Amino acid sequence: MRPFVFDPRSKLVMVFVATILLMMFHQWTSLTASLGILMVVVLLLHLGLLWLNFLRRLGFACLTFFIIAWLAFDLPTAVVSALRLLAIGTAFFLFFQTTPPEALSNALLKMGVPYPFAFVLSASMQFVPVLVRRLKHIRDAQRARGIPIEGGLSLLVHLPALAGPLLIQAFKFADELAEAMEARGFGIPGRRFRHEPRFAPLDWIVVIFSLLVLIAVFWIS
Amino acid sequence: MILRFEGVSYRYPEADDWALNGLDLTVHGGESVLVAGASGSGKSTLCRACIGLIPHFHHGEWVGRVFVDGLDTRDHPVYQLFRHAGLVFQNTDAQLFNQTVESELTYGLESLGMTAAEIEERLAWASELAGLDELMGRSPHTLSGGEKQRVALGAILALKPRLLLLDEPFTHLDPEGTEELRRILRMMKAEEMALVIVEHRLHEIIRDVDRIIILHQGKIVADGSPHQVLAGDLSRYGLNLPPLVRLFRESSLDETPLSIDEALDAINELKNQDRLTPSSIHFLEQAKPPLHASLRTSSPIVQAEAIGFNYQDRSVLRNLHFKLVKGECVALVGRNGAGKTTLIKHLNGLLRPHQGLLKILGQDARGRPVSQLSRHVGFVWQNPNDQLFQPTVREEVLTGPKALRSYDPSWCEELFNRFGLVPLLSRSPFTLSEGQKKRVSFAAALAVKPELIVLDEPTAGQDELFRRELAKFICELQREERTVVLVTHDLEFAAEHANRWLVLADGRMIADGPPEAVMADSKAMTRAGLRPTQRYQLIQALKSMKEDKA
Repeated sequence: MRPFVFDPRSKLVMVFVATILLMMFHQWTSLTASLGILMVVVLLLHLGLLWLNFLRRLGFACLTFFIIAWLAFDLPTAVVSALRLLAIGTAFFLFFQTTPPEALSNALLKMGVPYPFAFVLSASMQFVPVLVRRLKHIRDAQRARGIPIEGGLSLLVHLPALAGPLLIQAFKFADELAEAMEARGFGIPGRRFRHEPRFAPLDWIVVIFSLLVLIAVFWIS
Repeated sequence: MILRFEGVSYRYPEADDWALNGLDLTVHGGESVLVAGASGSGKSTLCRACIGLIPHFHHGEWVGRVFVDGLDTRDHPVYQLFRHAGLVFQNTDAQLFNQTVESELTYGLESLGMTAAEIEERLAWASELAGLDELMGRSPHTLSGGEKQRVALGAILALKPRLLLLDEPFTHLDPEGTEELRRILRMMKAEEMALVIVEHRLHEIIRDVDRIIILHQGKIVADGSPHQVLAGDLSRYGLNLPPLVRLFRESSLDETPLSIDEALDAINELKNQDRLTPSSIHFLEQAKPPLHASLRTSSPIVQAEAIGFNYQDRSVLRNLHFKLVKGECVALVGRNGAGKTTLIKHLNGLLRPHQGLLKILGQDARGRPVSQLSRHVGFVWQNPNDQLFQPTVREEVLTGPKALRSYDPSWCEELFNRFGLVPLLSRSPFTLSEGQKKRVSFAAALAVKPELIVLDEPTAGQDELFRRELAKFICELQREERTVVLVTHDLEFAAEHANRWLVLADGRMIADGPPEAVMADSKAMTRAGLRPTQRYQLIQALKSMKEDKA
């Protein structure tokens, strides 16, 4: 996780403003320009390699989206749809790469979100990699008994062999997680935080700037 | 008094049997108690009742009262009890839910509403005690099993509870991790913390505890000092007795030594009293019952020539040479992270060597897909839940043979009988007990008639009944001239049932030979972080006593 100067709340405002703007753009030129700006930020934060990894996963969704939009509408719509998905994905990629889950949950609490909701949100983010690792174990175990799950179409054909064990384990895991959290005081009234999030003048500046940009774009369009 | 159970009975929702059945128990501050019993005897339920998860989190039928530090658990929610009693659960993955080790340790302290200064003080104390200083910035999910165990323990210790409960803490630890955990527990005991430790591997901790409680079908059937309890008849309770106690029982001796010194003292005393018969002496000095001899001269099933494997620019396996032949049982041993799992994944093509040559049944494994190799190499993984997905046990077992087009009905019927699956064939595998699931995964792995079968930590978390069954299965497999590879930390089991040990350390094969020869190589054992078994140590001590006399 890269250290970042902004409070998670100001970043949350920025990412939502970016999403609204990207939804408003209907020209491939403006979407390409937005993606370019986001890519500059990605490169400035030295997140290029991680973004390429992320693209490997998002790329499939973008391509599917592109084909469906092309078949259902036309080529320009397909280009715009795929570009929009990629740009929104990149904005959220930047947000999550620069915001530790705990910082996010603390920030949500400060914004008045109830504690159980905020914590469950951040804990779920935390457990995505754990479940991905479990999925790898399951895939190995099934391949070891001769089920040809080599990737691509065979993944779909043998989905029950992967999804069955994963779902059962995820439910058990969720139960064990809930027990462990209860046993460490989850939900106790009067909880205090070691690092309280602080909203600095710089955060106010970016929030005001983001909102002004949003208003300006609304005004122009 | 820190813990008191008064006539406690508990039954999980929709269960027929009582998980706890009329339990009366008192534990005092500074006391360390080992809770033992077969799988399903109620050990984990007892832990949950101690911290209020039963009855607040798990509902069901509840009778009696539990007091923790004077608080009745029925009247106090879990978040009021957790500062008094802390539980380190079996599954460490599920209890590490924070971004870093540091925040894992501070989570409970924040829950208690402590000030930043108090949190810093407790954090420093717990991190030093659990040896976590160098891991503080790491994500818990990137740590090894032993490190995760220490983080989970540190997170509870930071709360300084008066009662510390640990549910099977030694299951996934290698010998070094075990020693480290024992050190921490001894320190906690010195701080007057009451310890309740649930464990199958009794010998790992028995010398450090004041008392043992044996649970059987939810009832306490024995309670007393380790010597007192182990002197009784425990054969009905499915306990994995400490190796020295088992050895003395097998030699028809009543003593219950827990350490080599105690065993030698007992033997000397028996000799002085003329109570030691020649047959007992012979039995004690015999390394182990003779094992099925492998056909060392037959052509190798697996042949590795200078194989190496790298992961993220790190050498995980380096220049390994070994052969596995028909009918032998080979134990692959070494500390966590030595490369054992990486190596076994090469045996069926899940991983391919980056250097060297690996031949399976005489053919280069590189060009052969996993689905082809798995016709010859069967795997029984540590967690059977990784495989189960079919609606019935029968379909689960037949999945492999059907996928590999090698279905032999008479062989599969034999497997159903051998693993006692006939009454379960039409049941959903998800409704089975963990022991039954293990049997299904054994049958599923053998259903394709593999020449080589790999057992990944087969005894981890298993009781004595399962260990005996497993020993029988291994003998049967060897009689059928199948090769067995055991990946294990359980050296007592490996010494008893494997003909040969392969020792890995930092990705290198540092020893290869019969268990006794490997254990005699103290340099290799130290380098791999292993300790000789208690049985081996006793035989060596008896030998040197004899030599001294001569």
